[in-house]
Amino acid sequence: MNTMANLVFEGVGLKKEFDDGQVHALRGVDFRIAKGEFVAVIGPSGCGKSTLLQMLGALDRPSGGTLYYCGNSIPDLPNPSAYRAREIGFIFQAFHLLPTFTAVENVQIPMFETDLPASKRRDRAISLLKSVGMDHRLDHFPAKLSGGERQRVAIARSLANGPSVLLADEPTGNLDSENARLILELVVRLHREQNMTLVLVTHDMAIARLASRTITMKDGRVVSDNASAPDAHREKEQAIK
Amino acid sequence: MTFFTIVVRGLIRRPVRTALTLVGISIGIAAVVALVGIASGYEKSIDKQLDVIGVDIVVSNMSGGFLPKVFDESLQARIAKLPGVAETTSVLMEMESIEDAPMMMVSGREWGGFTWGKLNLMTGRMPRDGAEHAVILGRMAAEVLNKKVGDTVQIEAEELPVVGIVDGRSVVENGAIMLSLKVLQDVTGNEGKANFVDVRVTPNSTREDVRRLCERIKGIFPEGRALVAGEVVSNSQGFRIARAMSWSTSLLAIIVGVLGVMNTMLMTVFERTHEIGILLAVGWTRRRIVYMVLCESALLGLLGGLVGVALGALGVQILEHTTGIRGLLEPNLSPKLLLTSVTIAVVVGVISGMYPAWRGSRLTPSFALNG
Repeated sequence: MNTMANLVFEGVGLKKEFDDGQVHALRGVDFRIAKGEFVAVIGPSGCGKSTLLQMLGALDRPSGGTLYYCGNSIPDLPNPSAYRAREIGFIFQAFHLLPTFTAVENVQIPMFETDLPASKRRDRAISLLKSVGMDHRLDHFPAKLSGGERQRVAIARSLANGPSVLLADEPTGNLDSENARLILELVVRLHREQNMTLVLVTHDMAIARLASRTITMKDGRVVSDNASAPDAHREKEQAIK
Repeated sequence: MTFFTIVVRGLIRRPVRTALTLVGISIGIAAVVALVGIASGYEKSIDKQLDVIGVDIVVSNMSGGFLPKVFDESLQARIAKLPGVAETTSVLMEMESIEDAPMMMVSGREWGGFTWGKLNLMTGRMPRDGAEHAVILGRMAAEVLNKKVGDTVQIEAEELPVVGIVDGRSVVENGAIMLSLKVLQDVTGNEGKANFVDVRVTPNSTREDVRRLCERIKGIFPEGRALVAGEVVSNSQGFRIARAMSWSTSLLAIIVGVLGVMNTMLMTVFERTHEIGILLAVGWTRRRIVYMVLCESALLGLLGGLVGVALGALGVQILEHTTGIRGLLEPNLSPKLLLTSVTIAVVVGVISGMYPAWRGSRLTPSFALNG
């Protein structure tokens, strides 16, 4: 199923250590993610799922093993900034919006790494905010937005440069259930409509069920990697417990 | 939104701190403008004075402090005999504390010499002859000393009557006490001594002729120097010291400004570690982060420079009108000085931002996001 041709990510023996080897966040993780897949990475706190996502987004470097994006080694990318700017869209649990910029300005921030002129940047930002239902809050600062609205702005920002991969780290972790549902619907819709590869980190089984595939992690290792099915979900729940 | 918007937002997010840093830089720049402007203004006044009097060559001793050491006034006669010399006159210049004025120029001029000719009498009269123990005051000197014709001025141990007040058409002359060379020699115990010989060359002399004449004067006065009028100030040890002092004082103020900006920018980078993490995470290059921090610090420098120039100019204006100094200053706030000051401020900003920018750019995105 994951043929080499449509492979987006491939990790082999991926390791990450912190504090001079005192902490092992990843202890040899192997996985493959194909183009257009929706993969949920689940596991308890501290199992290494967010660390794995950061490796995929070139926000950090692995301590060992290999990690490829479309056949190119991510740690050895000549221009990791360009990779983050153009290939990856990141959605964080804590939104990570810049507080001194309005919604429409926050969405424009990643576009500074493209050749888009200032007027086009604003137009594109408005269009993206419209697509996430935030066109009525363009000039509001993050402090004046609700949690759900902030996450919508963050999602619009993640789409700023038309990435092929969305990496979402607990995107609903700071939201109430209604906003969480709306945000998930939005993310899944974007994945489907734009055929984007979506890797979503969560500890919520209900959210993981939306994915076409679930990678379960524990203590820095992958303990299962299954296509979603009712029976598989029960196994995953057991593993987490 | 442009990149400049991002730079400006970076500064206005902490308006009080930015304002205080601006004050820090602007004080340094104000010091440059005021001190260098005043020193340069005084140099310009000397040039103007020589020009007004019509001096072509100034002969003086090599050694000395603010003013050169005295020499025998017979030198004047030897210079006068040189070919190409039209007129000569000896001058004994002293810097004296006169009554309440801490430092005042007292100029003893050879009676009948051409240096007397350009003085424009406002009130009173000129001394009757070279032997009359009397002084005339430049109009600003009269104002500073609060003297009028009929009053007396004490020089060393002698009370000399003020017989006239003149307009000398330059700040140096207007701020000076002038009297006959002979009288000043008597009063100061410098009989037969002078510390300048002012020379006028024959009409139609070329620059080369003047240079050659200077060489000849040095031939007969090896321990002294003969300078073309326009070069007197730049070659004066006293003015060099004054210039160096004004720049070094300014430099200290600038260093304080540098530390202020560096501290602010470092604080900014530390405080914004998380934001820098976000920028890196959304794809900003390290170079863009460096550029952003440097632009912020350069903008801080530019604003500080502009405020500093305004403060310096205002300070000089206030000094110019302060009792006791009024009329003695002719600051030279030239466009060049103002531009140099603003440029210094921008360079200070950029230099101060370098380390913080480097620190900011070295952050690992994941670390910065979690920090």
